[in-house]
Amino acid sequence: MADPYRWSFWKREFNSPILLASGTAGFGIELMEQGFLEGAAAVISKATTLKPREGNPPPRIIETRFGLLNSIGLANPGVDEVLKILLPQAADLPCPLIINVAGEVVEEFPAVIERLEESTVPFGYEVNVSCPNVAAGGIAFGASPEIVERISTLVKRVSSRPFSVKLTPNEGSIVESAKAAEAGGADAVTVCNTFLGMKVDWRTGKALLKRSVGGYSSPALLPLTVARVFKTSEAVKIPVLASGGVNRAEDILELLAAGAAMVQVGTWLMRRPDAAFELREGVISLLESDSP
Amino acid sequence: MIIGKEEILPGIFKFEFKVSSSFIAEAEPGRFIQLEVSHGPFPVTRRPFTISSTYGKSVEIIFEVVGRGTEVLAETDVGRSLRLLGPLGRGYLLNPGKWLLIGGGLGAAGFPGLTAKIDSGLLLLGAASRDKLLTIPGLETVAITEDGSSGRKGLITDLLGSVRWDSFSGIALCGPVPMMKAVFEMMPFPAQAITQVSAEARMGCGWGVCEGCSVPKAGGGFLKCCSDGPVFQAESIDWERCEGIH
Ligand SMILES: Cc1cc2nc3c(=O)[nH]c(=O)nc-3n(C[C@H](O)[C@H](O)[C@H](O)COP(=O)(O)OP(=O)(O)OC[C@H]3O[C@@H](n4cnc5c(N)ncnc54)[C@H](O)[C@@H]3O)c2cc1C
Ligand SMILES: Cc1cc2nc3c(=O)[nH]c(=O)nc-3n(C[C@H](O)[C@H](O)[C@H](O)COP(=O)(O)O)c2cc1C
Ligand code: FES
Repeated sequence: MADPYRWSFWKREFNSPILLASGTAGFGIELMEQGFLEGAAAVISKATTLKPREGNPPPRIIETRFGLLNSIGLANPGVDEVLKILLPQAADLPCPLIINVAGEVVEEFPAVIERLEESTVPFGYEVNVSCPNVAAGGIAFGASPEIVERISTLVKRVSSRPFSVKLTPNEGSIVESAKAAEAGGADAVTVCNTFLGMKVDWRTGKALLKRSVGGYSSPALLPLTVARVFKTSEAVKIPVLASGGVNRAEDILELLAAGAAMVQVGTWLMRRPDAAFELREGVISLLESDSP
Repeated sequence: MIIGKEEILPGIFKFEFKVSSSFIAEAEPGRFIQLEVSHGPFPVTRRPFTISSTYGKSVEIIFEVVGRGTEVLAETDVGRSLRLLGPLGRGYLLNPGKWLLIGGGLGAAGFPGLTAKIDSGLLLLGAASRDKLLTIPGLETVAITEDGSSGRKGLITDLLGSVRWDSFSGIALCGPVPMMKAVFEMMPFPAQAITQVSAEARMGCGWGVCEGCSVPKAGGGFLKCCSDGPVFQAESIDWERCEGIH
């Protein structure tokens, strides 16, 4: 018998609250081929930019005692290749695809989305104004409510689809940036991207990552996400998509209780490609055991 | 499930896992597995290990304890189950004839499986000392150690002068990056062209989605170690840019 549990956002109903986070699921194609998309409400793609980006020099992944530092640097083949090669393959995904979009200058965001509008595949967009691993754009955009509002307004103008603005926990006020996104016409906010982190070899005094700092993610960060989801969901009416620190079904239910409409799983998906299935099963059984 | 565990050299372990028959069918030499080394959340990511060999319905890996992940793994006992993904990546492109295998330290861990698939081979094996020198059965072997505790004393490059490069139909090279780079640069061009290397990079996912495992590509850009490799044509790698990655 089908379970009765449903979650919804952007006028669509899902049998799972789980979104696969940007950068940890590709475009969903590899996961689909392995049958690992069951349990996922939607896939959020790797960041797409106007021009191809080769990404940062290796090493790009460093594990620390209680988490992961990444310095991918938005490596992606650029919007032309995404339209030509990846989206046609992703057309067969069993769930919707949200395209994560990044840019070095404000105008790049609407420019990429204008191109993506040529395809029928995307369900919506996630506007990444919070990448910690790039010199231009990234955190600096997300930390400024003025820039967040401006980017949201520009995207709204060219997009026929709903979009979320992915915010940064690193600088500025995430609540002010969330309000700015809403004022600019965003249909959701994603709370939030990775935390700025760094690992130094004390013997040499050198950072292990070539750009020194990277994006830190860890199950230990869950309470930080819960707090930010709680505060932003009180401040805006648009849905809050939670991201950061999820590796158990309980974490998902906790973030939903704190105000999230949907919950993303990122780092844990790299460890467990079938995480969506496992976590959804866990969520359902917790809800069932809790209902009278 | 772990069905065998042996400390073959100090700090170097051989683990045997029970796997499915479809795993065995796909376990070509050079491919790897992603192993969840702990049941708890840390370490967060899996650890990659080359498939050393397969027997019946089991797969063997050989690993050295170098950090927390391998330490936790080494402490895990026979009978425990660990989640294992694979076989992943691309292995060696095989051809008939005699092969030259050049291994540095744990780089030779994948050679038993390769040995089983080639007609015949010569192994040049280097290590810091006899404590780090693996034994690869079934191959004519010339060993060299940095301290002279086993075989000749010196570096693996000291063995290259007497190699008759044109007598081999394929060359497999695996070891630390500086060693692979030095060997590759000493090879005559025709030998470079038939050399395949097994590269290493820190991995996130291991199945092609995170862009975490980049290896510098000859001519610019990057290759993905986990899905374009880990076995690559040696010529497709930009060895200059590989330095200092780990
Ligand atoms: C395709 C592939 C196959 C491999 N096969 C084997 C094998 O058969 N036997 C074996 O012993 N090792 C193998 N390795 C290396 C092995 O994965 C690492 O030694 C292991 O991940 C280290 O984990 P750790 O937590 O113990 O070390 P950490 O605490 O993470 O790091 C300790 C040190 O190990 C090095 N290191 C960490 N990760 C890697 C990595 N992915 N590649 C290379 N060096 C690393 C770094 O220099 C670091 O300073 C392979 C790596 C790859 C990518
Ligand atoms: C390897 C890696 C790559 C990522 N790439 C992107 C990206 O391209 N765009 C983006 O908006 N976020 C990216 N992120 C951030 C994740 O989508 C997610 O917001 C973050 O990791 C926190 O969630 P988690 O704890 O579930 O991983 C990346 C994270 C990791 C670990
Ligand atoms: S480890 Fe994720 S792409 Fe290779």
